[in-house]
Amino acid sequence: MFSRIAYALRETWESFRRNLTLTAAAVLTSAVSLLLVGSTFLIQRAFENLLVQWRGDVEMIIFVRSDASAEQIALVDQVLRASPTIIDVDKLRYLNKTESYEEAKRIFAGDPVTLGLLTPETIPTQFKVVPLSDDPTLVRSLSDQYRTLPGVEAVALAEDEFEVISTLSNFIRVVTLITSLVLLLVAVGLIWNTIRTAMFARRREIEVMKLVGATNWFIRIPFMLEGLLQGLIGGVVSCGGLWVLNSAWTSGVTSFKPGTGISSLVVPDSYLTSVMFILLAIGAVVGAVGSAIAATRFLDV
Amino acid sequence: MIRLENVTKIYGTETVAVRDASFDIPKSQFVFLVGPSGSGKSTLLRLINRQEQPERGDVWVAGRNINEMPASRVPHLRRSMGNVFQDYKLLLNKTVFENVAFALEVIGKPRHVISRQVPIVLDLVGLADKQDRFPNQLSGGEQQRVSIARAFVNRPLILLADEPTGNLDPTTSEGIMGLLDEINQTGTTVVMATHDHRVVNAMRRRVIQLDRGVIVRDQERGVYE
Repeated sequence: MFSRIAYALRETWESFRRNLTLTAAAVLTSAVSLLLVGSTFLIQRAFENLLVQWRGDVEMIIFVRSDASAEQIALVDQVLRASPTIIDVDKLRYLNKTESYEEAKRIFAGDPVTLGLLTPETIPTQFKVVPLSDDPTLVRSLSDQYRTLPGVEAVALAEDEFEVISTLSNFIRVVTLITSLVLLLVAVGLIWNTIRTAMFARRREIEVMKLVGATNWFIRIPFMLEGLLQGLIGGVVSCGGLWVLNSAWTSGVTSFKPGTGISSLVVPDSYLTSVMFILLAIGAVVGAVGSAIAATRFLDV
Repeated sequence: MIRLENVTKIYGTETVAVRDASFDIPKSQFVFLVGPSGSGKSTLLRLINRQEQPERGDVWVAGRNINEMPASRVPHLRRSMGNVFQDYKLLLNKTVFENVAFALEVIGKPRHVISRQVPIVLDLVGLADKQDRFPNQLSGGEQQRVSIARAFVNRPLILLADEPTGNLDPTTSEGIMGLLDEINQTGTTVVMATHDHRVVNAMRRRVIQLDRGVIVRDQERGVYE
């Protein structure tokens, strides 16, 4: 068993060295495409942060003053529930101080100044409201009505901001996703080609191996390892690239004036780390798929 | 050991390489397949080690129908056969020792088996003192000896030889035939395709003659006609 593993690793390394130019091309292509995939993830996350307050089809937020009494809050709730034909009562959600603060921490992750001003005591609580009606004028008149209730600090309507941001984010997401998918396919193709070339260079050896009774898996595994390695190295390079990109992005975004909301575009490090793991995994899969196709296809010498 | 039953092999749509061939080769026999180029000798050998599958008929090796064998069993079938070719098929970047060891290595034999078996078989073919040479540093006859050593190192039941003396002069050929005979004496069945009159006539073994894919003669202790 040990001699088989040693054999596979030795062969992988040999072939890797012999085909340096092609290997470099395959690694670079997978790195670039993976970098794009990673960027898609980060962009998506950044916009999600921006949109998080409007998630779940919430179209209206009623901010309640932090010093509002329990009766005032109950009254707002009562008024909202009094019109079940206009408001989706099932989706009506009230965030208390702790919940509101948790959400603020996420929205203002890149804006420590604003976040510093908020405490779980001073933060306004909020009702997230989903209107049943699609009619913007009706929703607007509704919001004017709620604004006059005691204890209500402000009523925010989603449609204005939401429209622009979500269209923009969808557009960017689709474009980057398609581009990265195409590039991933190219990467699979290039890895396929390197493995094919490697196999062609060693067709005599493969022929002998088959004739003396080596199993197909025995012949295939070094080549598949080689492809896997190419994909993984591409993944590592793309992780480095993504880290650089994200650092530049973060410092650029945080230099905006605090409170403009732009700073919520910062992506937390923990998310970056998980994206990196995803990239490594995709890289490995791309490499394994490309080389597996090549190895299976060209084993019938 | 090897039995063909009405085997027909067609390449493409109409090139009939072997037509309705039947024979039975018992264990330890030495058989020559003779006939001009293109008469189907090599195809018969390729049918026996399942590099090819017949369109009609069955091929039996060691009591098993190898055409009904799943592809995953083919490597094991091939471990019971050695192959020798006209062009040796040695790996030029490996030494004599490594070429022979390769055959054991790729079927997963442990290192201690390899280091014991390879010198024994190199000694048998008379190349014990040249195990560190590369194929390019050897004569044709010596290269063929390496390839025979590689085919025999796993002690196969059957040795298939396709024109093994095709590139060699008469004296060298004689040596190679002596070696194949020696291997045959150990109980290994040898099937050798050739159109070398001299070796066939000198050995006086069973001869199966082919003409355009058809067996036209099957004779014990025969000669080349």
